[in-house]
Amino acid sequence: KDWRGWNIHVEDYPVSHGMEAFMAEVTEKTGGELKGKVFHSGVLGSQPDAIEQLRLGIIDFGVFSLGPMGQAVPATNVVSLPFIFKSVPQMYEIMDGEGGEALGKALEEKGIVALGYYDAGARSFYNSIKPINAPADVAGMKVRVMNNDLFVGMIEAMGGNATPMAFAEVYQSIKTGVVDGAENNPPSYESTSHFEVAQYYSMSQHLIIPECLCMAKKTFDALTPEQQEVVREAGRNSTALQRDLWQKREMASMEIVKAGGVTVNEIADKSAFQAAMAPVYETFLADNPDMVELVDLFRNAE
Amino acid sequence: MQDYPEWIVRGERILDGLSKLCVFVASCALVVLVATFGWLVFGRYVLNATPTWVEQLALLLVCYIAYLGAAAGVHERTHLGVTLFRDMMGPKVSAYLKLFNDIVLAAFGGLMAVASLELFQFGWSTLLPMLNIPESFRTLSALLCGGLVCIFAGFRALFRLALMMRGQTYYEEEAV
Amino acid sequence: MGLALLLGVFGGCVVIGIPVAFAMGVAAAAAFWYEGFPLLITFQRSVSGISVFSLLAIPFFVFAGELMLHGGIAARLVRFASALVGHIRGGLASVNIFSSMLFGGISGSAVADISALGSILIPVMKERGYRPDYAVNVTVTSSIAGIVIPPSHNMIIFAVAAGGGLSISQLFLAGVLPGILMCICLAVAAYIIAIKHNYPAEQFPGWGEVARTSLAAIPGLVTAVIIVGGVLSGIFTVTESGAFGAIYALLLTFFVYRTLDWNGFKTAVVQAVRTTAMVMVLIGFASSFAYLLALYQVPEKLGDFMLGISESKFAILLMINLMLLVLGMIMDMAALILICTPIFLPIVKSLGMEPEQFGIMLLVNLGLGLCTPPVGTCLFVGCAVGRIRIEETLKSIWPFYLAILFALILVTYVPAVSLFLPSLLG
Ligand code: NA
Ligand code: NA
Repeated sequence: KDWRGWNIHVEDYPVSHGMEAFMAEVTEKTGGELKGKVFHSGVLGSQPDAIEQLRLGIIDFGVFSLGPMGQAVPATNVVSLPFIFKSVPQMYEIMDGEGGEALGKALEEKGIVALGYYDAGARSFYNSIKPINAPADVAGMKVRVMNNDLFVGMIEAMGGNATPMAFAEVYQSIKTGVVDGAENNPPSYESTSHFEVAQYYSMSQHLIIPECLCMAKKTFDALTPEQQEVVREAGRNSTALQRDLWQKREMASMEIVKAGGVTVNEIADKSAFQAAMAPVYETFLADNPDMVELVDLFRNAE
Repeated sequence: MQDYPEWIVRGERILDGLSKLCVFVASCALVVLVATFGWLVFGRYVLNATPTWVEQLALLLVCYIAYLGAAAGVHERTHLGVTLFRDMMGPKVSAYLKLFNDIVLAAFGGLMAVASLELFQFGWSTLLPMLNIPESFRTLSALLCGGLVCIFAGFRALFRLALMMRGQTYYEEEAV
Repeated sequence: MGLALLLGVFGGCVVIGIPVAFAMGVAAAAAFWYEGFPLLITFQRSVSGISVFSLLAIPFFVFAGELMLHGGIAARLVRFASALVGHIRGGLASVNIFSSMLFGGISGSAVADISALGSILIPVMKERGYRPDYAVNVTVTSSIAGIVIPPSHNMIIFAVAAGGGLSISQLFLAGVLPGILMCICLAVAAYIIAIKHNYPAEQFPGWGEVARTSLAAIPGLVTAVIIVGGVLSGIFTVTESGAFGAIYALLLTFFVYRTLDWNGFKTAVVQAVRTTAMVMVLIGFASSFAYLLALYQVPEKLGDFMLGISESKFAILLMINLMLLVLGMIMDMAALILICTPIFLPIVKSLGMEPEQFGIMLLVNLGLGLCTPPVGTCLFVGCAVGRIRIEETLKSIWPFYLAILFALILVTYVPAVSLFLPSLLG
């Protein structure tokens, strides 16, 4: 049967090109034995639904953000901890090594085979009021975050008012002042036009949450060992391609928002932010005592 | 309806009660839904601390409003349908078609209950964000709906059939 | 083959009278079975289709509308409209249309509009010598203006069907002028017929009466101001504004007007639950259906097919409108919004049409379908309220159809009708 690929992004996006390249390579190297189609723009459902469909073998592969993945596979929550990675290159290194392996094992227990970790950049704060240079600047601000206790805790640790809100309502809400700002990576900030209404982008880079090119274990296990190797290699190649495209896209997005009048400020010393996150880590480790080792593996990596 | 057999009259009464119970629970959910949104805005403006659970709780409540209300709607016949063609067929064929429809609905309700039970089990290890309760609480609404649709339509089919065999016609309430 | 099964089972179920929502569910389950999918996917899609944040506005708007209906706000609006426009020839027809503009503007539900205003106005019109079919025709056709005048839960369904990227407040703004335009077209049609039949005009009650009735009506109209104004000014999100509209209507009718008693409240809650459940379960199974349409790549294929027939924007929009008109006659609005939006929106976007304009075109078009047999909820409710047979109204309804079609043509081919306000205030 033809594979079905799930993708939340629009057709022209680094993730989308990565998935298309993956599928094309698999088809080519198996001489057309394995083929399939990528369904972009989330037409096959939201991420939580798609994860369920992947585990049931209804869809065969997809690229999932490890953020909301935490609801189904708690171990992946570790990458949703603020400042767990020191930089994007360090994230590549950890995810291609021991860290990625550990998460891959946890995913596999839930019927998901991880083939590679795509780049989704670093998320930074943006708002309509002022540049953020220190945690105190967030105090009192209404900031939209994704639905996750960790992100709510992160804003609260800085004294802000965390407001989970449907993504589609964010633009209008910033514009009219229901919320003051939100946080996201540059391509999202640019493509959603949020930069038109929130003209301060502060490079806090507090969250580096990779996305995972995943395959249904049901589909993967049905392959011959040779095919599995082809799939794994195509996964690695598409990861390299996606990361390259992502970097270019990120730069292009920064150019666009700067041309759109956005004030971008670098935060050279992030230690004050990192220090403010101590209660977030404490709560997380208190709630998940079994994950101390995993957190240390990520936290203490060079 | 007075010359129906006793068991059918009693059965109809039980189904009426069950349907009213569904509507009652769904009504309470609606009132709570409106109240939590009042609290949400109060929290954001007055307390400057947005209650972060409102959104997810609302999404849960709306499932119960929808599915319990929809199950009651099967009993009360308030769902939108195209009855024009069926009504053109004459009373005899129309009666058989109504019986057939009820059987299809009952079967679909049964399927919905069984499939939702699988989803219920499957979702037990996945947590709803912010509420931190199993996702299964959401699918439970569909599970209940399936079971109730099966009961409402199934018993109606049974009553129809029993009356048909006695040469009586089933009392049909017009949708309100 | 799977697609044929999906559409065939759906069509078969609808024809034999299975409720549309369940017909979609049964058809989707059949197609999933054919494709070898676990059948639980039907219900996963359905549950997820319902748990969408933007859709929460639907119970709120519906509840607010019910509270206004059972709490006497509608009657006050009619009195105000009557004082203001009742003295025009065929005055009660204008009152009817103007009241619809006001009330539909708040409740967003055409059926609530007909049952609220029709039960007040149709008996009065008959008493003053208007023909019953005329009274019902005016009531029914003007009610659909409320679908495009904001707020409107059908617009929210459209925004969700469009993929969630649309700003609902922009859509709300886009609906204002088309709604007023529809009312004007209908008023002209009603006026011409009124002259032909020599219908009476009411006495102008004087500006004092206009002022007095407007004072009584203003608190009710404030509900609309809360909902639309609250969103545009940034106090609320759309969803929150719906909840506040309901809370406000409750406080107003219970404490200020004192027209809502405990029984009225219970009726309003129960009716709101019924309507919400009906719409939501439809939305749920429509998302199972839409999943399969996406899987079979129906939008792409239909798009290629249409672009293959003609590449002219004029012709394609005409084709889409004709298809929608035919579908609108045989199916109900919410289901069609959910099925047709993902199919047609990409096509019109490729022709350079804004999604907001398409949304309004879709709503006006399907609104007309609500007034046509064989499936016309508004027509049925109107005939039930006016106690006349459907065949009777159909003999004289065509001028009103023409009026709406004229408005539809303007909305389709003149973007400014929908987009002027959003570009001005957006
Ligand atoms: Na409206
Ligand atoms: Na009217």
